[in-house]
Amino acid sequence: MQVHVKLYGTLPKLYLGDYPKTGLDVAAWQGLTVAELVQLVPLPHNQVAIVSINGFLAKAADAVPQNAQVKFFQPINGG
Amino acid sequence: MKFLRVNMTTQTVQYQDVPDAYALVGGRALTSFMVSEEVPATVDPLGAENKLIFAPGYFSGTSLINTSRLSVGAKSPLTGGIKESNVGGTVAFSLAKLGIKAIIVEGKAPSDNYFVLNVEDENTASLILATQLVGERTYATTKKLHKDFGAGKSITCIGPAGEMQLLSASIQSTDLDGRPCRAAGRGGLGAVMGSKGLKAIIVDRRGKMPPELIDAEKFKKASKRYAKDVRADEFSGEILGEFGTAILVEPINAAGGFPTNNARMGQFDGVEKISGETIARVIKERGGKNKHKGCSQCIIDCSNEFVTKEGEYVTSSLEYETIWSMGGMIGNDNLDAIARLDFLCDDIGLDTMNTGAALAVAFDAGYREFGDFEAAIALVEEVAAGTEMGRLIGNGPDSVGKHFNHSRVPTVKGQSIAAYDPRAIQGMAVTYATTPMGADHTAGWVVDQNLEAFGGTVNARGSKGQVEISRDTQIHMAAVDTVGICDFAQSGLATEAGIGNVFAMMSAKSGQNYGQEEWTELGKLVIKVELEFNRQAGFTSADDRLPPMFYNEPLPPYNVVVKVSDAEMDSTFDF
Repeated sequence: MQVHVKLYGTLPKLYLGDYPKTGLDVAAWQGLTVAELVQLVPLPHNQVAIVSINGFLAKAADAVPQNAQVKFFQPINGG
Repeated sequence: MKFLRVNMTTQTVQYQDVPDAYALVGGRALTSFMVSEEVPATVDPLGAENKLIFAPGYFSGTSLINTSRLSVGAKSPLTGGIKESNVGGTVAFSLAKLGIKAIIVEGKAPSDNYFVLNVEDENTASLILATQLVGERTYATTKKLHKDFGAGKSITCIGPAGEMQLLSASIQSTDLDGRPCRAAGRGGLGAVMGSKGLKAIIVDRRGKMPPELIDAEKFKKASKRYAKDVRADEFSGEILGEFGTAILVEPINAAGGFPTNNARMGQFDGVEKISGETIARVIKERGGKNKHKGCSQCIIDCSNEFVTKEGEYVTSSLEYETIWSMGGMIGNDNLDAIARLDFLCDDIGLDTMNTGAALAVAFDAGYREFGDFEAAIALVEEVAAGTEMGRLIGNGPDSVGKHFNHSRVPTVKGQSIAAYDPRAIQGMAVTYATTPMGADHTAGWVVDQNLEAFGGTVNARGSKGQVEISRDTQIHMAAVDTVGICDFAQSGLATEAGIGNVFAMMSAKSGQNYGQEEWTELGKLVIKVELEFNRQAGFTSADDRLPPMFYNEPLPPYNVVVKVSDAEMDSTFDF
């Protein structure tokens, strides 16, 4: 099983390795959670705060479906 | 420090000592307290009895970073209630360095007469007839005033929209490059300035007045710690500089909270073409500027300079809210058109949010197709030309909705929502509905609590806990807007130690003990005063509601409506 992960903000720069512009194909397994997926992608601790899967926000305990299109975002601030 | 009182009826100016009651506040608290004290709540906002007050934040002019915020307050012609809208650039720092705590503009110049106020130093200011500037847009106004008065002056002015007293008229202020691209956009305060006959305020930037500090050393140490925290934070220290506020486009869209096609959808198909990542790349490829410094004392540099393919200046700064209002909200994924619309709004003197929402309502009513950016540009040009349709657009979404008899108008108290759909991020429903300011995201931005930590510490699409976080944030922001810290430098006060630094600076500047209790009481007092003004102006709890579209129309992709009940809304300010 594989999922596709795209990094936003400065995450591509923080990725520990060469980040392909089109995103990462990550080998996964049935029942993989969002929290586990975040750990699989080599990024500095606590840099991912918002995750979407196939266009919907995901919780840490949500399962990541096969061939999911996943987006990782950093903490945000605004006003 | 002094008050500079300007009477437009008699064209006289007077410096005054600051009454003790106002000594320990600045920014929003000062403007709201003074409006409440000096302006009867039932007056015509565009009449002589209204007052327009410009007040730097309490910390403006000190060594603290990112405190060049100028609060502008008055009774709003857009909302009919009290208003504070704040702006960056150079003016707040410049006024504070001249020892000016506030400029109070009152009365009304004889019809069709326009003046500029020239503030030279802490003792010298004058009103000068400015017939040659009538009808001029803000970039031309600024250019002429810089030529006549010196390139180094800070200029705060209105454009044709303000002169026409249109309800979306902004007050524009110059950035560090001297461009009038910073806006006190909300609430139609440019119309109040126009009604007074005040075209511009010129402020000398060479003031050297030291800040009034009881314990300068304590202030300095705390301000250094604060700056260190802002630099160390990934968002304020790295991300904002690299991408600007546009970095919010993708995550808010991913959350289904990016109001698209007049808030018919929460996600925009063209999002990648207008994302922060794309904008930063395009600016870099074309030779524009990312990490641009727009405001005095700024260490974040979230501004940018957007340029054409040929490298010619278009606008500064292209920011998240405008990318939404002139992008997704009108179905437009053409980045160059968004930049052009941003420039036109700055140049004509219009709030980009209210104007984009007005265009969206017109498009939604069938006047033009969503995505027709050429029509959008032509309509904004019509505002400057003063055509009937231009005036409708310039008067905002309510005006357009009435004209077309179209009920899908995303406003509260007459002011458009911002770039967060209240159905997808329900904490923003509470803020939009209940703030005394009309739908205003800055009054209580609770997006982080709704989305971060993998889907929010509260359920973004439910009502539970939303009133509490909006209440707490609104109280906190009323205090933040009083001291004049930029929203984007709030990373410095996000921790217990960080807010402790703010309290230390409050103590060091005021000479009084200051802690969480005093901070909260300050915020509460500001809101109470504002609510009371609005009550006297005729507002009731019925005004603290979102328009029906947000309660009745499920928003894709989550197909959710606002679930916060009226009773919950009404409990927001139970203190």
